Order: sequence, then C-alpha cells, then structure tokens
Amino acid sequence: MHKNLARLIWIFTAFIILIGLIALYSASYHNVRVSNRIFYDQLGCAVSGLLLMFFLSRIDCRKFYDMAYIFYWITIGMLIMVLVTGRHALGAQRWLSIGGFSFQPSELAKFTLILALGRYFSERRPALTFSFVDFKYVLWSDLIVPFSMTLLPMVLIFKQPDLGTALLFFGIFIVMLFVSGLEYHYLIGFFTLCASFGPFAWHILKPYQKDRLLVFLNPNIDPLGAGYTIIQSKIAIGSGKLFGKGWLSGTQNQLNFLPERHTDFIFSVIGEEWGLLGAICLLICYMVLIYCGLKISEQIKDKFGMQVAIGIVAIFTLQVVINVGMVLGLCPVVGLTLPFVSYGRSSYMIFIVMMGFLLSLSRRRTIF
Amino acid sequence: MRLKIVRITIFGFFCIIAVNLFYTQIIRGQYYYGLSVDNRIRVIPSEGRRGSILDRYGDVLVGNRLSFNVAVIPQDIKESEFLFDYLSEVLKTEKKELLQRFYQKKITPFAPVVIAEDIDKKIAMELEENRFRFPGLYVQETFRRHYPYHGLGAHVLGYVGKISRSRMEKLEEYGYTPKSIVGYLGVEESYDAFLKGEEGGKQIEVDARGRQRRLLSVKEPQRGQDIQLTIDARIQRLAFDILDDKSGTIIVMDLDTGGILGMVSAPAFDPNVLVSSRYAKEAASIFIDEGAPLLNRAIKGLYPPGSVFKTIVSLAGLVTKKIEPSTTYFCKGSYKLGRRRFRCAHVHGTNDLIGAIARSCNVYFYNVGLLLGPEIMNKYARILGLGRLTHIDLPFEEKGSIPSPLQRKMKSNRGWYDGDTLNFSIGQGDVLVTPIQAVRMMANVARGGKEVQPHLIKAIGGREVIQFSTVKNIHIKKKIFETVQKGLRDVVQSERGTAKILNMDGFEISGKTGTAQTAPGKPSHAWFVGYSTQGKKRIAFCIFIEHGGSSYYAVRMTRNFLKKLREEEII
Repeated sequence: MHKNLARLIWIFTAFIILIGLIALYSASYHNVRVSNRIFYDQLGCAVSGLLLMFFLSRIDCRKFYDMAYIFYWITIGMLIMVLVTGRHALGAQRWLSIGGFSFQPSELAKFTLILALGRYFSERRPALTFSFVDFKYVLWSDLIVPFSMTLLPMVLIFKQPDLGTALLFFGIFIVMLFVSGLEYHYLIGFFTLCASFGPFAWHILKPYQKDRLLVFLNPNIDPLGAGYTIIQSKIAIGSGKLFGKGWLSGTQNQLNFLPERHTDFIFSVIGEEWGLLGAICLLICYMVLIYCGLKISEQIKDKFGMQVAIGIVAIFTLQVVINVGMVLGLCPVVGLTLPFVSYGRSSYMIFIVMMGFLLSLSRRRTIF
Repeated sequence: MRLKIVRITIFGFFCIIAVNLFYTQIIRGQYYYGLSVDNRIRVIPSEGRRGSILDRYGDVLVGNRLSFNVAVIPQDIKESEFLFDYLSEVLKTEKKELLQRFYQKKITPFAPVVIAEDIDKKIAMELEENRFRFPGLYVQETFRRHYPYHGLGAHVLGYVGKISRSRMEKLEEYGYTPKSIVGYLGVEESYDAFLKGEEGGKQIEVDARGRQRRLLSVKEPQRGQDIQLTIDARIQRLAFDILDDKSGTIIVMDLDTGGILGMVSAPAFDPNVLVSSRYAKEAASIFIDEGAPLLNRAIKGLYPPGSVFKTIVSLAGLVTKKIEPSTTYFCKGSYKLGRRRFRCAHVHGTNDLIGAIARSCNVYFYNVGLLLGPEIMNKYARILGLGRLTHIDLPFEEKGSIPSPLQRKMKSNRGWYDGDTLNFSIGQGDVLVTPIQAVRMMANVARGGKEVQPHLIKAIGGREVIQFSTVKNIHIKKKIFETVQKGLRDVVQSERGTAKILNMDGFEISGKTGTAQTAPGKPSHAWFVGYSTQGKKRIAFCIFIEHGGSSYYAVRMTRNFLKKLREEEII
C-alpha cells in the first residue's frame, strides 16, 4: 500500500510542478509587471523543493509530533513580528526578512497550526473511541481550547491584512475538528454560533474587503476594478475552449489584460492556453494527491498522523477549489494561491513540506 | 464514518468546479472566444469633478475648466508614421518628442496613451474633425483646475497636483489611488477630502472599429463638494494691490467670529501655472525663486515682533501687580545695564503705562521687563497665544518660539542674562511669532480676553460650518484688558501716538506699531497690528512688511488700506 501511495505522490507532485513551471513561464513572458526572473525563482524553488521533499520523507514523523508546539509558538512570534516590523508590499505587511531572506510567516503558520492541532487532538482522545465524558470538560478542552489555538494566528493574520488566509485557517479548523471525533451536537452548536457571528464580522471588515464581497455578488458595480478582472478572467478561460490556444499564445494573458496572472489568476493562463483538457488534467493531478492524503489518513492508526494528513488534505482542497473558483467568478477574490503553480516561494515550500510529511507518514507501518 | 463524509464533500467541490469549467469553456466557449479575439471590452474612466471654492459672497475663487488632451490607442493605430507626422504638424511639437512620450507611457495595447495635455480648444476641434482619417487618435475631455484670481489668493487657496508617495501611503485606505489628484498648500489641501470627486467609468463592448456597441456596466462619477470660505474677494484684491512689489503679508480677520476676511502673502505665485504642463517652465521657476513665493508668510513666516510685544508685557505687568496704570518711568533715550547702553527710539521723558504704549518707549518696558523676569513674560506670551499654533485650517502653520532661560539652557547650554531680558521685553532677541499669531493676540485683547478661533471655512456642500473649538476665556480681569485697550487706542488717538496718522474721521482704530530689528545691515521689519471697531464690520488686522525699514511704512500702508476698505463700503 504505502509504496504505491508514495510513488503516486512523487509522480503527481512532480507533474504538477512541471505544469506549474510551464504556466508560469507563459505568465511571465510578456509581463509588464514582473520580469522573467520569477520563472527562474520558481525553478529554483522546484529543484530545492524536490530535494527537501526527499529529505523530509526520510525523517520520522514522530519528530514533528515532538516539536509541534514549539513550531507553533515560534510561528506566532513571527506573526507578531510581521505586524510590528514587516515589509510593506502591495499595501500589506506580510513578509518578514531574516538574514536576507524574506518569507511569509502566514504560510508557515498553516503547517504549524495543523501540527499543533493534530497533536492536541491526538492527546485529548488518543484512541478513536467515543467515551462518555463531562459536558463542560468536553466543551472546554475539545472545542474552546483548539478554537483558541486557531483563533490566535487567525487574528494576527487578519490584521496584516490578509482576509483569505485567515478564513482558510478557519476552514482547516472546521475540518480537523470534524475529524477529531467531537460529538455532532457540539459541532452543530458551534457552527450555529459562528454563523450568528456573520453580521458582526461584516463590520470588522475594511471597506475594500467589503467591496470585494459585494463585487463578487455583482461584478457590474465595479467596472473599473475587480469587476473588470473577473470578466477578463472568464474571457480568458472561456476562450480556451477544449484544446486551448497553445503555449505562449493566450491572447488575453499575453496582452496584459490580467494583471495578477502570475499569482492569483494563473489558472486562467492554463485555461486559456491549454483549454478544458489542460485544466481538467491539472485538477485530476490535484485530486490524485488529495486521494493519496485521504488514503493515508484512513489507513494510519496513529491519530496524530491521521489529523495532520486530513489537515493537509483540507488545505490543498480549499486552496485549489477557492483559487479556481475565484478565477471562474464562483468565489470572491480573496488571494489564495494555487499550490505549486502560483508564484510565491513561501507558499511553494510549505506545500513541499506538507508533501514530504505525507511521504514520511506513508512509510510508517500501519499497525503498531 | 467521518472520513467518508470528508471524502464525499471534497469530491463534491471538485465536481462543482469541473461542471463550471465545462460550462465556461465549452458551452460558452465560443462567446468568450469571440470577445477575446476581438478584444472587445473597453474600460472608459470618467472623472469626478473636484468641488469649487467660493468666497463668502459666492464668488468663484477656484473652479474647473474644460480641458482637452490628445490620446492614442496603440492597438487601433493603422499607420503610425502618417499619424505622428500629422500630430507633429498640428501640435507644433517635434515628432521625436511625441514618439518618445508615446513609448514611455504605453502600458497595454488597448489603453489610451496621453501624448499631449491641455491643448488649445481650436486645435482640439480640428483634431476631432479629422479623427476619421487617423484610426487610434482620440481627443479626451477632462477638467482642469482654474484660478481666475491668479496670484491673489494663492496661499489661501493652494494648488493641485498628482498625489505624492508619502501622501499615498497615508491615504490609501480612504480610496485614493496612485493616479489621484490632490490639493497642495492652502484649503485645497486642508479640505481635500471634501473637494475631491469620485472616479466613475463604464465598461463597453466595441465593434471592430472601436465604436461602442453595447454598454456592459456603468458607475457614475461623483462630484466633489463645493466649499465656501470666509474670504471676501474684494479685500483680497485690495490687499494684494496695496502690497504691490513688497514682501510681507496682510491679514484681515472678523473680530467677532474669527473668520478670515483676507489673507495675502507676497511674493505670491499663480496657481494656474502649477496645474497644467503647458506652463512647465514657469512652474519650475516658482520653485527656485529666491523670494520664496510658495511660503505663506501669514502663517509660516517667523519674525521678531518688536514693539508689538509690549502689549504682552503690559498685560503681564498689570496682572502680576508689578506695575499699575499710573506707574511711571523716566526715559532719557537710553537705559544703562552694566556697561552697555540699551537704546530707545526717542527721548520720551516721564510716561505712565498708557503713554509708554502710545509712544512705544523702550526704556519703560526695559524696566517692567526686569521687574517681571523672562519666565513671567514667557508665561503670558503663551497665554495670549504666542508661541502656540492657532490651528487655523491651513496646512504647514509654524508655532514660533518664545524664549526662556530654561529652554535656552536645555537647547544650547547657555546662560540667560539681564540683557536678554531687556531684549525680550521689547520683542527682540529670540522671540519669533507669525503674523496670524499677532492678529489673534490683538483680537483677544480687543475682545477682553474672550478667545477667538481664526478660520477660513464658512460652508461645505452648502451646509454652514458651526465652529466647535476649544477656545476659552483668558482669566485676566476685564479692567486690565480695558487699560491696555486704552493704551492701544492712544497709539492712534493721542498726539504722541506712533500711529497718529491713522486717526481719521469716522474710524476708531487701535493697535501697536513695531519696528523689528533683524540681521545687522538689513532693514528692520515693519509691523502694524490692530483692530477697528467703528463701521460696518469690526475687524482685527495685521500689516507686515518684510524688511520694510520702519513701522511708519506699515502704518502708512494701513491708512491707505483702511481708507480703501471704507470707500468700497466693506467696513
């Protein structure tokens, strides 16, 4: 079992990386906003990433378990530092510079949160059994504490401001909570509570974030800004039809109709140049990786491994689905990247780490 | 079990995506393909007009005028040589220059590139008539800021220009974009948030010739709000004409409300020159002009007040009971301190307080100054508003500085000597005030201690602005103010007064002259700061001539100015 899974992960990760590089090359080809340099950046990430993935797959995943909380708190510290000292780019403070390297701690936080939650959930109920425990105790330790663990980085990230990633954290929490075995009545009560916070949450949003959500509901109210981008994105993808226009021949993209095509909107490059076939192909690759993750989570008996695997599956799914949804006009523009394809070193490397972890898990024996 | 639910949900999401992809790319594929091949979507922005600025009677001080730009859409050009030859001939500009601008500013193939701004109306019409011969050529209509009064209110009004990076960082959250036009200096800057309009635009589908075929969506531009100032355009003109070629400033303030009726600073500049690239050369010369025309001397010029400061010393002396109105000192033309002689302008003989103010006797105030000491004089100067911002609604106001032994010790570790006190008491030495502070001080004295807030704004968007301010009453007995008021009145009314030429029929003027020494070798500054309480309007005013020589010139200018105001039935 595990040998096959590992092989699948390797093959399809490499495949996605390849598709990503090809798409990025096209996106940076005639780009007035960025130079060709980003392609070579990403290439470097790919090579070093694959190496890293190899090394990580050899590490015993128990080590991740041991360091889970330490990693978590280090990341929290970094997130605080970003708010205090971070570098400004595109109107947001998301990057931290250490020794010449700049990276986004929020990306790192995705994985460390999963590790921390995974460890926490596995400690609380080490076996996948459901025993009768006191209501208040359950409420506190199985719901409130893990939610606070999630809320802390969520709030710090939200203040950067980065709405999309903050909401992503909430999504991760929901999935991991669901899988942790918490009884349904707690879950339902919790979700209802969160839903009722909706109107309040609306007021915390900044004006441009509110605008984004409103434009999503009706792109025509902002013909100059986001509404324009969505229409252009749909035109780009739609015009690809079945076979696409060919590599480097996407007119919408080569002619600079889409400003963010090397990051958020890179899927539209793929859609335009490779058509429905190319797009479905890429989606299938993602689905295979997600399938592998799910299979691993099903077969592993160690609860920590299971939780983290599900967490990784959750991130992948959410980012892919939301990103493609954005590009198709199904979701509001929230700035989530497409794994291994969108340009972004921090995001790239974290996904590598996650794949490495899955590989490491797959090497474990399924029965203690 | 739960994992199964997760699995199914994930699969469901992907299905939704796949279905949508299928819909977009296959079912609607041809439609989108058509749109993409012909690049048929165009975005046409339309400007939100900036609000106008009016004077108190509705006269337009700043408005907008229609202006035309020449733009070219790269994708639509058929024969570029032909086009640029024609443009070069019509616009009378080198073809090389036009081509350079074109390549520099080009961003995307379908966005118009502006290659000439603010062209003559006739040329614009000619180009518009010939457009059909030159695909790709467009004449854009925009608005440009227009200052009909030219240099008259330049400092009060300010000018507009593209937003700078530092402003952009601060204002990004309020909806400003890197292309925004914002105000600089004057009320253009302080009320920019109200004046600026909101950009709108429309998204259209065009046919192969670039003509609109269908309107996809539209967002109406919003006009900015008009603001009305307390300024009286007639007073501005009179003040400007009277200052003529001298450097300095004239401020006229409504004594009862604090509204600024007139504020002129010279040398001035013509804001029209700064808002159009047609006048780039003149604009450049403004910035390097040695006379500093961009400086609003009324609120930013720092000058020693000279004898005007004696008003403060008088108040301080009476409040602290160090002197009484009947206290006298003898002046023989100079005062000896140690080995140095501190001079007075004339030999004044014996004077009481009122007489000393009227004749501006230095020796009297040397004596009072020594009695009070610098800390007390500092305290009362600040109470009367010197050394503090007036918080007038203009940007870049200076605070000025009032010296004290403690401050001097902290700043430069030097000691304070009695000679410094003497200089302090006649408003020389390290005392620096702005003319608006002087006006406010005088107005506070005239109003018996009821503070007033100098301001320029009367109404925004048609709604009157009600002043909420933190002005309070100064806690000095009314009788003391009355004594000083009498002194200030005697400056004009008495035979011995230094401003007796202001004693005209039908006028009741009070005030204080000042001849402030500056650097050795340079002529002194000329001050007259006062108030007029008889007539249609009660005003406080300041006439200040930089390096005017002696206060006499300021007084003379005041006389001509007030006479003109009376002739025009303004006061």
